[in-house]
Amino acid sequence: MSDSEVTPIRASEVAVGDVLPPFALPVTSTVIVAGAIASRDFMPAHHDSEYARGQGAPDMFMNILTTNGYVSRFVTDWAGPEAMVRKIAIRLGGPAIPGQPLRFSGEVLSADDEGDERLIQVSVRAANDLGDHATGTVLISLPQD
Amino acid sequence: MSDDSVDPVREELEKFIGKPMGPPAVAPEAVNLPMIRHWVDALDDRNPVYLDESRASESRFGEVVAPPAMLQTWTMPSPIIEGIAERGGAPTAMKSENVVSALDAAGYVGTLATNSELEFHRYLRPGDRLRTSNALESISPRKRTSLGLGYFVTWITTYTDGDDEIVGSQLFRIFKFDPNTIGGDS
Repeated sequence: MSDSEVTPIRASEVAVGDVLPPFALPVTSTVIVAGAIASRDFMPAHHDSEYARGQGAPDMFMNILTTNGYVSRFVTDWAGPEAMVRKIAIRLGGPAIPGQPLRFSGEVLSADDEGDERLIQVSVRAANDLGDHATGTVLISLPQD
Repeated sequence: MSDDSVDPVREELEKFIGKPMGPPAVAPEAVNLPMIRHWVDALDDRNPVYLDESRASESRFGEVVAPPAMLQTWTMPSPIIEGIAERGGAPTAMKSENVVSALDAAGYVGTLATNSELEFHRYLRPGDRLRTSNALESISPRKRTSLGLGYFVTWITTYTDGDDEIVGSQLFRIFKFDPNTIGGDS
């Protein structure tokens, strides 16, 4: 989300099949290292390409905390600041490595009223040219509008 | 695909189920704005409820809250940088025997993370001081995959606040495999 305000979605108008705005993250060494250190993960595989290759990986790769962070961001960039993320469930696939943009896509799987909230489950896929990096679901709640 | 042949490791593995994977952790710092800002900048996540006090106060949260996916960040151990590569990336020397070290010793030295399920009961606010506890939930029957023979190991970490209220949890699953069994018969 940039500084320019995006019109927030309205909880009452969210419908099954709604597609989230796609997002492509240009994955670089800096993106990977910044996320690893911001999440206090100092494992060499997340900042040292030579070490990672020695472990059989194609290059240094994004840590799981950062992947979860981008999944959360992808959904709340769409759902807006009133969204509360309740659950992020992902299956981990191939690594996110420098030079391979991660393409995020998703759509609404369910939207149900629950009291003064609307519970919305979306599917999320983050993929690069190696295949799926992470696939799963995110559950959010939005206040009824 | 399950591998039903004789599994000499199984009995030893059973004793770990339901037990802690490691010692409980206490967050070295309370939830705080500098670490939130570091995360927000690193991931370029401009959701205003994470740093903008005025926007946050008008939101359902009523005040600044931490990005939910930071949950695990708050209790990451303080690392000893020297020797971290030699320890295979472990932030500190592992003292206790657990299922991972037992599988390593049995030759299942490969590790692949396969699943993460984060649940958030409430968003964290600056000042929250977290603790964790964890328990091994399950060890699958030995399975053959494209990586070789191995076990899916699942554990759950529970996060509590200063009032011992649960604020969130993470289910984590890894595949521990023997890289020497790729394509071979068990």
